[in-house]
Amino acid sequence: MSLVNYATREITCKIVYYGPGRSGKTTNLHYIYGQVPSDRKGRMVSLATQTDRTLFFDFLPLDLGTISGFTTKMQLYTVPGQVYYQTTRKLVLQGADGVVFVADSQARQLEENIESLQDLHANLGEHGIDARLVPLVLQYNKQNLPPELILDVPAMDEALNFRGVPAFAADALRGPGVFETLRGISELVLRRLSGAGAAAVPPAAPASGSAAGGGAPPTRAPAPTARASSGRR
Amino acid sequence: MTVAVVERWVETPLRHFVQDAQVTLALLLTPSGQVLGQHGFNRAMDVMAACALAAAIHASSAELGKLLEGKPFAGLHHAGATRQIFLAPAETRRGTLLCLTVFDDATSIGIVQLYFGELRDRLAAGAPSARTTPPAVLADSFEQDLNRNLTLLFRR
Repeated sequence: MSLVNYATREITCKIVYYGPGRSGKTTNLHYIYGQVPSDRKGRMVSLATQTDRTLFFDFLPLDLGTISGFTTKMQLYTVPGQVYYQTTRKLVLQGADGVVFVADSQARQLEENIESLQDLHANLGEHGIDARLVPLVLQYNKQNLPPELILDVPAMDEALNFRGVPAFAADALRGPGVFETLRGISELVLRRLSGAGAAAVPPAAPASGSAAGGGAPPTRAPAPTARASSGRR
Repeated sequence: MTVAVVERWVETPLRHFVQDAQVTLALLLTPSGQVLGQHGFNRAMDVMAACALAAAIHASSAELGKLLEGKPFAGLHHAGATRQIFLAPAETRRGTLLCLTVFDDATSIGIVQLYFGELRDRLAAGAPSARTTPPAVLADSFEQDLNRNLTLLFRR
């Protein structure tokens, strides 16, 4: 759920890149990270396996600048695409304001795309979210591959886009379509803020800092820990 | 000692906790990773990353607890050579909040847990009873601003 702070005039939104394994979700974030000026982005956090498959999620915070007088921040997440990370996907999806479904345009991946889209709907349902109402855009990635290997945009639309949501052809490795996809989901999420649905901080409640993170003294980064223990409820 | 908050009602409880428990870092966040208040960070982007990781740790350890004995862990203590982490949930009328705190040998896990109990009670007592329904947040012209900022962001 979007966090809107009227006192400091800030909006923070969570966008999740969803899709089957190897469809290009992490590649989208890497491209965005590489293009955005350093003062408008935070560190990209990737919890990945040794073979660079996403284990838990990738995370990239972006500062979109001021929109309608609000400082607007986007938190971009990816989920692990492999089927056996179902629980993890559900956890990352929690509190999402918008979803980018990254589909692999290769014809042989069609079944995986459909299964992943069904998985998305099921997980949204488990969070009590009506999948028909959540802001969603589709990205048909790898459209740069030879035509004999891929489904074209109309065929991908026919297979996946039964909601008629915005869809973007993309080559996430080189960039075409990545920016357009982010723009598309940002518009949908922010347009939704014109209505209800945000967690609001009332205007009469001035905050003590400009935002979380502003004005606090420098600190040391947490060091790796040597051992762990957990208490039970 | 600086505490920065997104929602004012968390400020006093968080300030008391930081002062009493003598922790070096403290974060209050929602289970989906949105920050509500913090002490000790100096970059908003670092706060966001820390919140994302804290929410992930909490979510995964809770699932692990459910898997093992059918119930989530009440808290997680991670002890390093010089610094330690304590992460635990607090139930409020505004839903579950998470508190992540980092501390060194100026204090101890016992002290931190003791004052976390007080923090949890203060948050429960001070939480607003319901969310305020927001008025329209964005002006009709927001797409112009968005397009301008995205263009700046990608230098296109």
